Amino acid sequence: MTLNFNLPHETIYSEAKVSQVIVPGAAGEYGVTADHVPLVAQLKAGVLQIFHEDAGEPEKYFVAGGFSLTHANSVTDISCPEAVKLDDIDSSAVSSNFESAKNAYTSAEDGSAAQAEAQIDMEVNRAMGTAIGLNLN
Amino acid sequence: MATPTTFWRLAGMSYVQYVTRAASAVRNAAKEPAKSKLAANSKFTYNASIWEGGVQGKKVEIDALSKAGI
Repeated sequence: MTLNFNLPHETIYSEAKVSQVIVPGAAGEYGVTADHVPLVAQLKAGVLQIFHEDAGEPEKYFVAGGFSLTHANSVTDISCPEAVKLDDIDSSAVSSNFESAKNAYTSAEDGSAAQAEAQIDMEVNRAMGTAIGLNLN
Repeated sequence: MATPTTFWRLAGMSYVQYVTRAASAVRNAAKEPAKSKLAANSKFTYNASIWEGGVQGKKVEIDALSKAGI
């Protein structure tokens, strides 16, 4: 299958031949190989795994969200607003940002934009924690 | 019965605002040197211009969409 993986500021892969991608869909994680049924999925904050041909371990990126489009010709386009390699995630920053977000959430007014922003920060940091082996609650 | 939509829509946010916030959360948790390299991605500015008679007027930098009447 062919992978195009783009961020607003950078093209990570353009027409790369890969054997599989595992996509963090908002409705659930799923794998795409050649001849997958066409599919459009919104992504959640989570881990995108790219299995290169003839390579063992997948290349892993943490994506903030975005969309994945799999076409009938075995081309998959993935566009994300931001992505970092798992090795580039700072575990102490994730823990402390999660705690700050949790405090902001409890002190914000119910249903306010500030509370929603704190919830987004909590959920993304929790997902990053899970990706690097932290259990944040 | 609760409205079947996301918490951020209920709080008045659009998808773009939601995903932009999520992207900032990811950048804030990055290690150096990735963090400095990605920091510029959080910055954005707005320009506004008035069209008259099919001609675009001068672009003026504004600091809030409300100042452009949006």
